[in-house]
Amino acid sequence: MVVQAFFVGVFGLAAIGFGVAVFRTASMVRSALALLFSQAAVGCMFLAMQAEFLGVLQIMMMATEMSIMAIFMVMFMMDPGGLGGMDMSHQKRFSIGAGAIAAATAISVALFSDWGPIVAEAPDAAMQTRELGFEMLGRSMLVFETAAITILTAMIAATAVAIPVRQPGVDTGKLDKGNGDKEQEASK
Amino acid sequence: MTPVLILALLTGAILFGVGIYGALSQTNLVMIMMGVELILAGALVNLVAFWRFLHPEVYAGQMFVLVVMTVMAVEMAVGFGVAIARFRAKGSVEMEEAGDLKG
Repeated sequence: MVVQAFFVGVFGLAAIGFGVAVFRTASMVRSALALLFSQAAVGCMFLAMQAEFLGVLQIMMMATEMSIMAIFMVMFMMDPGGLGGMDMSHQKRFSIGAGAIAAATAISVALFSDWGPIVAEAPDAAMQTRELGFEMLGRSMLVFETAAITILTAMIAATAVAIPVRQPGVDTGKLDKGNGDKEQEASK
Repeated sequence: MTPVLILALLTGAILFGVGIYGALSQTNLVMIMMGVELILAGALVNLVAFWRFLHPEVYAGQMFVLVVMTVMAVEMAVGFGVAIARFRAKGSVEMEEAGDLKG
């Protein structure tokens, strides 16, 4: 239990540290990488808490997700490397207050609640995966199917939103011209 | 009361607070999504800790974790779809400039 507490604490600190680093760097790519490390540390916490399947799933999913996020950062930002040191935040004092109040409330609930008896031993990894499979295809089948349909719907919706609207005689799909170029063309 | 459960719950609580700060303070849509991801990561830590230390024999706890992971993936997909649409229309994903729906 002491070793488990040590690893949960270390990975927890890493998750928090990298989570804070996400919003403390001017570089968007560094932000995405910091979030990747934070989520990977959360996955390592799962491993330390003997939830092996969920830990591996978390690390794999978040590695892919955050890599895509880094690519989008490079695509969308004028200064993805953060060389200009541009500040992209607002209402800082309110945000810090809201974050601190939310964290303090959750911490007080964690510390002052009676969580009941603690179970020392967890089932082994093979048993967990087997039982989770039975859960997904048994009692929680409807939840599992709903999650699958939701992801499919989100994929279709995201693609539908992202593709340009085609109207007769209007070309809205080109990105190579900025607004300035369009204004110049209009003035000609 | 086990210190491991409390450690995990404290980590989840702080990640939740950091995520709230990020989601409220950032002006860039992708950075706001990063804040939401941290909020959901905090929820995931709590769920796994509750499953492991309180009810490891009930696998609905792990199922709940999979549902939250689904929410994370859906949030990313829809968020990036909106970001692409916004970038196409306005050339920027800065949310301070997005006042189109204001009455």
